[in-house]
Amino acid sequence: MTKKEAARVLADAHFRIEDGLERVFIIPGGLEDPGEPIKLLEVNANTVPTGSIEPIPFSASRDIPFVTEIAEISPEEFSRLERGELSLPSGWTLEGADDVPRPQAA
Amino acid sequence: MNGDRSAAFAAAFFAQASSDWQTYEYLTRAPSLPRCHPLHYLQMACEKLGKAYRLRNPSANVDAIVTRHVGFAQFINEYLRSPPILEDYKGQSARHKTVCKTSSALAREIEKLAPAIDRTHSPENAEYPWERGEWDLGTGKVLVPCEYDYPALSLLDTQGGRAFVKLIERAFRDY
Repeated sequence: MTKKEAARVLADAHFRIEDGLERVFIIPGGLEDPGEPIKLLEVNANTVPTGSIEPIPFSASRDIPFVTEIAEISPEEFSRLERGELSLPSGWTLEGADDVPRPQAA
Repeated sequence: MNGDRSAAFAAAFFAQASSDWQTYEYLTRAPSLPRCHPLHYLQMACEKLGKAYRLRNPSANVDAIVTRHVGFAQFINEYLRSPPILEDYKGQSARHKTVCKTSSALAREIEKLAPAIDRTHSPENAEYPWERGEWDLGTGKVLVPCEYDYPALSLLDTQGGRAFVKLIERAFRDY
């Protein structure tokens, strides 16, 4: 499984278990670099805004054999990000990011 | 440089979170103790655990993370969707979804126990007295943490609450 495929598996699984998840972006930075984690920016209507975007690194598993960083933000924070009032962490960009559609059954 | 600083803070927050968690467990077993006391330690342990995970990122914004009180509810959501937890619930999506809902709701209530969080809408906290009602209308009163039973956290005593506690224990072990 490539890192890109694993990221897609994760995004689909996240949509299945979180109803409030509106968007999942797979950040392109480091997708080809085995030393870099998978990076997901997730917009969740059910989260509590914190005012900044701080990804958390999580360990790999048998199914997803890559370290994964997840940054969750609220829809309001995403709007602020689009307006340039919030910034992404270093090494993260939405340019070229995969905006994963919610699976039909999720 | 920032990586060293965030790693040092991460280790320190984890150590204090572990100690707070042990105190929470000790207080939950203590007979006849007002509920505010174990809840106070639960809130502190959870806040610091979330910070410790976030600070493990070498490029973390240390000052922002260290000084704010929100972030635990967000941490729980992210942890519940992490690869190791997804593996735990493989083939059990419905159960995983239920645990996510309950744990997320509990995490939000626990986060609100910090006195600095949402004092206008949710003044109930585990440390300081707060007021309710309108003094002009004769309905004003001051409530005391040690006499309050925290109905919003009654979920902790259910099966979902026990699953939440196990999840926190797992987060300590996984760190």
